[in-house]
Amino acid sequence: MDLAFTPEEQQFREDIRAWVKDNLPADISHKVHNALRLSRDDMQRWGKILGKKGWLGHGWPKQFGGPGWNAVQKHLFEEECALAGAPRVVPFGPVMVAPVIMAFGNAEQQQRFLPGIASGEVWWSQGYSEPGSGSDLASLKTRAERRGDKYIVNGQKAWTTLGQYGEWIFCLVRTSSEGKPQTGISFLLIDMKSPGVTVRPVRLLDGECEVNEVFFDNVEVPAENLIGEENKGWTYAKHLLSHERTNIADVNRAKRELERLKRIAKTEGVWEDTRFRDEIAKLEVDVVALEMLVLRVLSAEKSGKNSLDIAGLLKIRGSEIQQRYSELMMLAAGPYSLPLIQEAMEAGWQGDAAAGALGGFPGGVVANAPLASTYFNMRKTTIYGGSNEVQRTIVSQVVLG
Amino acid sequence: MDFDFSDDQEQLRDAVRKWVDKGYDFERRRKTVAAGGFDRAAYNELAELGLAGLYISETDGGMGMGPVEGMVVLEELGRGIVLEPLTQTLIAGGVLSGYGSDALKAQWLPKIASGETLVVLAYQERKARYRLDVCEAKATQSSAGWSLSATKNMVPAGDQADAFIVPATVDGKIALFLVERNASGVTTRGYGTQDGARAADLQLVNAPAGLITTDGLAALEHAIDIGIAAACAEAVGVMDKTVAITAEYMNTRKQFGVAISSFQALRHRMADVKMQLELARSMSYYASLKLNAPADERRRALSRAKYQLGTSMRFVGQQAVQLHGGIGVTDEYIVSHYFKKLTQLEMTFGDTLHHLGEVSARMQDTAGVFA
Repeated sequence: MDLAFTPEEQQFREDIRAWVKDNLPADISHKVHNALRLSRDDMQRWGKILGKKGWLGHGWPKQFGGPGWNAVQKHLFEEECALAGAPRVVPFGPVMVAPVIMAFGNAEQQQRFLPGIASGEVWWSQGYSEPGSGSDLASLKTRAERRGDKYIVNGQKAWTTLGQYGEWIFCLVRTSSEGKPQTGISFLLIDMKSPGVTVRPVRLLDGECEVNEVFFDNVEVPAENLIGEENKGWTYAKHLLSHERTNIADVNRAKRELERLKRIAKTEGVWEDTRFRDEIAKLEVDVVALEMLVLRVLSAEKSGKNSLDIAGLLKIRGSEIQQRYSELMMLAAGPYSLPLIQEAMEAGWQGDAAAGALGGFPGGVVANAPLASTYFNMRKTTIYGGSNEVQRTIVSQVVLG
Repeated sequence: MDFDFSDDQEQLRDAVRKWVDKGYDFERRRKTVAAGGFDRAAYNELAELGLAGLYISETDGGMGMGPVEGMVVLEELGRGIVLEPLTQTLIAGGVLSGYGSDALKAQWLPKIASGETLVVLAYQERKARYRLDVCEAKATQSSAGWSLSATKNMVPAGDQADAFIVPATVDGKIALFLVERNASGVTTRGYGTQDGARAADLQLVNAPAGLITTDGLAALEHAIDIGIAAACAEAVGVMDKTVAITAEYMNTRKQFGVAISSFQALRHRMADVKMQLELARSMSYYASLKLNAPADERRRALSRAKYQLGTSMRFVGQQAVQLHGGIGVTDEYIVSHYFKKLTQLEMTFGDTLHHLGEVSARMQDTAGVFA
């Protein structure tokens, strides 16, 4: 038992750190460190930089052009990226659909789709949830009917994150209504430029359009876009969900954001307030405990042991911590988190010149501008990816059978 | 970065578990509680397994092992809510080995390792609460040597122990001393404690003492950190067993015609219990793995750990009783004894609020396990 990383792992970390330092654009890391608005271009620019190095699919095995890193190396890579202020990799292509194509797609599909994912050229979206199918995903209704060498798709997907930028979407569709709901689902790749696909952005409580509704109206999809076998899609989707379990805890970002919280608390004068500071101290312990939990899972994966009984805890704890740091940041700024000035959440905002001395952000600290919006945005974390209540049901099975 | 136990560590765990399962059943424990809360024969059995010498070098008759082995042993003792205070022996072995003179080590360590001598830490004073730098005990030096005057409370197995490690001030600075129970000027009054174990008040009136170190506060802080790591590990064992007992009960107990484990309200509570248990286990690992770090880093880490463990212990203990329903508040059924052990452990070596204060005061700009 040893807390320290091995010398080889340390060296690996140093190498990653040096590379990220040299290659992460400063304007992007500035936005990430200050929670300023990221554009499509910002996200894709970083994705392509990683893609060029072969690291956008950093969890990929060598046979598909990935680096073939083990669980610990992946963790170190993610940590160095997060601490340096890199945006999170948009996961739908490299993290979510690619492993499914690798495991269940045919050689032709692999050659056709994987290169565009690896390079960051093609923007993928996820078509899982529907208006009537949230936590109960298997109840999904979007239909795909086989007609000759095509599927005709009709229905609606919901909560499609960043779908407004999407070029391709991987969907769970119903191809049979016989038997259990899970057995009639197929995994289909759909070109979003196809006639009949409509994307409608949904404005969320923070004022941003982070998610979309995607409508399918008699969309023709070539049958060759079916992954694996018809009606086996649920199995493939579960494979996807079992991937990158530690990733979802997002502990590296939590560390970065806790450091930011401390800076905000100092600027706002609550660092010396024992009542407030103790709340930060509790979060400090929460983050250390989460990191230890993640390291335990990684260590077990490295030595090939089953760690499933604690991996289920990661999503619950990680999401609660994300909500908590965003909440404390907002509370630290107090009334100065409340002005809603959209432009102030953009990088480089110089204030309203016409308003003279009163043209800056109220209270004078523009870093406070996005705090409440981030807090509102973070409410999603305990809802998505299987709500925390669904997660608790899964965890309880480990303990109670 | 590696959280696997070595084969030797697994063997050590098996040996202790076997002793707890076969040699320390609930009936034996109940008899010990009724007889006052300490059984020297049971303590000697622990010593025969080599556990009293865990932190004592092989040269001095011990096993020369480290914090991870200590953790493994205490987890297993926790599982059986063993009353005899092995944590105190780990503290004595660690402190005397780390801070005592060669003569002192040669005189005491072999006897501690063999179990012949039980040495416990006597530091609790009324005005100090959980602070370590508050000490009214006084030491004076004369041509005959050192002598101590002090009143200490809640000394583990204090009227059964053979000697005490006692902090006392010399010119306002804390030093650490060794005092034998049968020396002149030593009085004890024993009593049972809420967890079924035994403690005593200790009064020293010009009692002859041997100096361990004049760097007493640093040594005392180190002693407490050894104790915290041990308490954390012990708590993990107690909680592990508590959760197992509760899960078994929930799958057996029927209400409304079905096992109560089928009710979602209870299942989700159990998921929260599992969360607290695994956070606690993670932080217990952290505590033991940081026990040999430089003092600053060690203190910060151990307070973080004790805060988490305290939070977890209170939640797991309370919920275990609640999930059992009425049977959970009886003396006859085993779970209330686990609950009481957790309650006492939370208040041992600084409670949750105390350590939150320590974490808060010691926070740095950076965050995470390695900060």
